[in-house]
Amino acid sequence: METTGADIVLRTLEREGVEAIFGYPGANSLPLHDRMIDSPVRHFMMRHEQAAAHAADGYARATGRVGVCLSTSGPGATNLVTGIATAFMDSTPLVALTAQVSTDLLGRDAFQETDIIGITLPITKHSFQVKDINDLGLSLRQAFALARSGRPGPVLVDLPKNILSATGPIRENRFDETPIAALKNQSNGNGLREIAEALNRSKRPVVIIGGGVKWSGADRKVNELIHGAGIPFATTMMGIGSVQAANGLNLGFIGTHGHDLANRIVHQSDFILAVGTRFTDRSTSRLDEFAPLARVAHIDIDPTSIGKNVPVDLPYVGDIAQALTALLPLVRSRNRTGWLQKIRRERTLLEDRLPNGGCGEAGQFIDRLQKVLPEETTVVTDVGLNQIWTVRTWNARAPRSLITNGGMGTMGFGLPAAIGAKIGTPEREVVLIIGDGGFLMNIQELATISYYRLPIKIVVINNGQLGMIRQIQDLFYDARFTTITLGNHTDLVAVARGFGIPAGRVRAGGDTEKEIEAFRKARGPYLLEAAVDPENYVYPIIPPGRSNIDMIYGKCA
Amino acid sequence: MDCRDIEYTLTLLVNNRPGVLSRIAGVLGSRGCNIASLCVAPTADAAVSRITLTGGADGDFTEKIKKQLDKLVDVIAVENYTGPRFIQRELMLIGLRLGGERRADLLRAIDLFGGRIVSMDGDYTVYEVAGTREQTQAVLSHLEPFGVEIMNRTGPIAVPRYGSGNGSLAPDPAG
Repeated sequence: METTGADIVLRTLEREGVEAIFGYPGANSLPLHDRMIDSPVRHFMMRHEQAAAHAADGYARATGRVGVCLSTSGPGATNLVTGIATAFMDSTPLVALTAQVSTDLLGRDAFQETDIIGITLPITKHSFQVKDINDLGLSLRQAFALARSGRPGPVLVDLPKNILSATGPIRENRFDETPIAALKNQSNGNGLREIAEALNRSKRPVVIIGGGVKWSGADRKVNELIHGAGIPFATTMMGIGSVQAANGLNLGFIGTHGHDLANRIVHQSDFILAVGTRFTDRSTSRLDEFAPLARVAHIDIDPTSIGKNVPVDLPYVGDIAQALTALLPLVRSRNRTGWLQKIRRERTLLEDRLPNGGCGEAGQFIDRLQKVLPEETTVVTDVGLNQIWTVRTWNARAPRSLITNGGMGTMGFGLPAAIGAKIGTPEREVVLIIGDGGFLMNIQELATISYYRLPIKIVVINNGQLGMIRQIQDLFYDARFTTITLGNHTDLVAVARGFGIPAGRVRAGGDTEKEIEAFRKARGPYLLEAAVDPENYVYPIIPPGRSNIDMIYGKCA
Repeated sequence: MDCRDIEYTLTLLVNNRPGVLSRIAGVLGSRGCNIASLCVAPTADAAVSRITLTGGADGDFTEKIKKQLDKLVDVIAVENYTGPRFIQRELMLIGLRLGGERRADLLRAIDLFGGRIVSMDGDYTVYEVAGTREQTQAVLSHLEPFGVEIMNRTGPIAVPRYGSGNGSLAPDPAG
């Protein structure tokens, strides 16, 4: 039986369990859009391809499944780039489908031709350009397998127009997944026994939980380890939510904008068990002063993440859930009263030093919001102060309930990512907390929300500034403020209403009760603008080039 | 990652497909590492090519680069072929003029180094020599004062000095 390339693409998506894709059409992708009319795969038309990539990313982060975005060739494809890079840095499984000019035009600088494979080489796990319809189904299936396997990430499939409209045979496209599966199962023998012995011997151990834990589905195993053996834990920003937060063993998250307790305790530890983290500079700060007393054991599926930044004494390459299943029976709980007492003392001391968790009235406002929202709420952030206020304040009760981009720090991520999260998990309340800067970067997506009537609750925290840049200039550039003023000339409430989205306005530090109630009760999309003072910064913070224990608590510190 | 001045030789078995080399070059280039030499040719299996590349790095870095290269989907295997356990050779072609009073000296030197003259056009002569990087470098240094018009060399290729015992040079997948 023969069918078109476009149908092969759509059948493969169906077979991979894809229910929704995010895209934007163009002349070269039309053969595909044409066949979508008869496909159960839902296509959500975004208002910009960058947003399509972020939405697919948000969908994947919220569901754990592969996100799919689609663009036409040329500018459509290049507009995906920031979204692909964002997914790459945070290990999100993503398949980016880009239409391409017909194979006979390739290399002729044809209309809307661009070498998207070349452009995305450093930010994809792999990419395919399909030049023969007989390879189409197989390339797509391999793309999905690769995106999911090992350390997840984006894979790009470039689809020339004539391949989409050509006819070819329907195939099973079975392929040997062994080499890809091997990425998930590789291990190195006795490593785990050594890790368990070192952990059992340690007097001041800490577990560091990274974003890999949620991708491995290892949160329950990590919980068992921590609570079974009573080991204090810190997370990275990407690891937040993987372990129940309200717990005496929880130190918070490490790094530049992290919790001082986490940074200080990790610094004093004699043993670190790191799972699913790549020890980015935002987590470790100065490498030569990171956890100077600790032996480091590192479990990760990506061999290149082990020893890349922090020297590792006990490496283990493998899937975290599988590794912890084998590790757990080897771990003994032992009396570490002294260590836990020390942590309790430091916690009390530091709490006194930082009223309001260091986030000022913005933090208190976010806290008030969470209190009125259902427990099954997913919070999505953008990048900047809004992000740090949220990740420091929000009590993430489940893996995937807090969606934020860490590695790339992409402003403009939040709004489209919230769209993807809502479409992926419609049963959950989805709240976006975003700053006025990042909101303007993909503001056109209000039209998407409005068109599909997506019940997303948007909170724009408005300080009229690029707040985090302002804080950096204030603290480290002698308060010489430049290129940070967004101004308060844009009436965001009117803008939202212009897009057909009801909206309200409030002062975060003022009387917010009535407006928060309207926000809570909204059945459809709703925007709440919350004004905060431009000097509502976040503390503590680590000055550039300093170590994790050099956190400062204010301007003069 | 730092690229230091200790020379390494890596060989890679890769899928013989368009774009594979740019992925490999990207892994090195994005980390600020220069490729000193590069040799690519199909293996006995035409679907698979062997790449031999050399560059400067410290030992730790070589292992990191090896892991990064190994992660590429089109890379089947990566082996570190640095050190005395591997036979290395590169081929060098030198074009020079054999005329004048130093002709006898030159011929004697060529004779001494081994290799052979592969082409003559008037007094213009093409001389071929194979050897380790050190040997070809020594030849070049010696011949340069005679007026080398052109020189081209392949960069090293390498194979293990000792057999693996099973008659196969395929690297151990666990290694």
